[in-house]
Order: sequence, then C-alpha cells, then structure tokens
Amino acid sequence: MKPIRMLAIAALVAATPWTLAAEHTVAQKDKAFSTKTLDIKAGDKVAFRNDDAFSHNIFSLTDAMPFDLGTYGGGQMKAVTFAKAGKFEIECAIHPEMRMVINVAP
Amino acid sequence: MQGKRTMNGLAVRWLRAAALAAVAACGAWTALAEENSPPPRTDGALLPRDSTDAAVFRGGLVYANYCVTCHGINADGNGRAARLHNPRPANLRASDKNDAYIGLIVRRGGEALGRAPGMPPWGEELTDEQINDVTAFVRSVNGQHR
Repeated sequence: MKPIRMLAIAALVAATPWTLAAEHTVAQKDKAFSTKTLDIKAGDKVAFRNDDAFSHNIFSLTDAMPFDLGTYGGGQMKAVTFAKAGKFEIECAIHPEMRMVINVAP
Repeated sequence: MQGKRTMNGLAVRWLRAAALAAVAACGAWTALAEENSPPPRTDGALLPRDSTDAAVFRGGLVYANYCVTCHGINADGNGRAARLHNPRPANLRASDKNDAYIGLIVRRGGEALGRAPGMPPWGEELTDEQINDVTAFVRSVNGQHR
C-alpha cells in the first residue's frame, strides 16, 4: 500500500470519532426517568426505553424541535435524533411527574 | 292647574307607599326564608361520595393532572401540547358522546377506537372510579351534565 493512501486512511480513522453521532439510552422505570439530565451533542440519538409494565408517552414541547413519541408499552423503545442544539425538556404525557432535561451542545 | 298639581301629589304619595310596602314585604320574605333554611355548614362536611357533584369535583382533579396538557384548562382542545397532535385533541366542551363512550375512549385510548392515536389509553393508569369521575367532569363541561 502506498504511503499516501495509508496516510489518508489513517487521517480518516483519526477523524471518525468526531464525526460519528453517539447513541444514548434513557430508561423509564417506576414512573421516573433513569436520569434527570443528559448532556449530548447535536446529531446524537437518544433511545427512551420503557422498563415499566405499563405505557409511557414521551414528548417535548421545546421550540427547537418539538416531538411526540406516542404511547408505547413496557419492553418497547423509541428513539429521537437531536439534530439541533438547545435545552430540551422531556415529559411523559401519561405521568406528569416524569420530567428530565437533555442539553444538546452544538 | 291647582287640581292637576293635587292629583299629581296624590299619585306620588300612593306610589311611594306602594314602594315602601313592597320593600317591607320583600324584607320580611327574605327574613322568613333565612329563618327556615338550614344554617351554612361550618364543620367541613363533604359532598356525599356517591353524588354527581362529588364525582365532577374529583373528575376535575383527575382532568387537571392527566388531561389538561392536551385538552387544555378550558377543555377546548387547546392544551399546551395540542400542537404536537394531528388531529388535534378533542374539544370536550362540544363533545356529543355519552358517558359509556367517553369512558371507553378514556380507558382504551383513541387508536383502539379508530380515533386520534394521540389519545393514550388510560385504563392501566387510572382506576375505574377515576375514569368514571373524569367522565362526569367532561359531561359537566360540555353542558350535558345530568
């Protein structure tokens, strides 16, 4: 393999960790999120896993990217990609006491 | 002219007397009504548990906790999360559904009944009493309270 090609591949590999989006998981158990806050970067994906035996309905009204994952039962998981930076307040439509914040850095 | 003034003065005196009599009669009637009506309760007595008024009261609390986010404080479908849903949450003030159907929608959710999927099934979260109470509350706000 020519040195210049090896150099290009090495550069690509070195740059890869900064270009791949990360995936995070937030569990819902006993009518609570597994964490109160989560710090991620724009482009990261967050999966909301329902570890309860009953349904949850995750949504956010944050202006940057409002979303509603709908109602889903125990053992299921739904994910959101946070494409924009900002502070996202996450709630459950069925359990109003469930709240958390996801801080998305640029 | 003198006779006319006399007649007018007489009429005024009659009217004044009639008005005074009416006021006195009204006052006497009010006093009688107050005397015969039970005194206001001051012992913190509650509404009878099985009464419709109690169900509406309890249902209002359920509504304020679980339903207001989408259906709104005025139950008109304009809650703060309403903009996330298409179709939008129902205007409960204009609902023409009977108690059984309202209870079914609450219990099983919109999707199970071929309606808006944004309405979650509350059967696993709310007790039967809470569902009955919130149904009574919905009926009370849409003018079909019985």
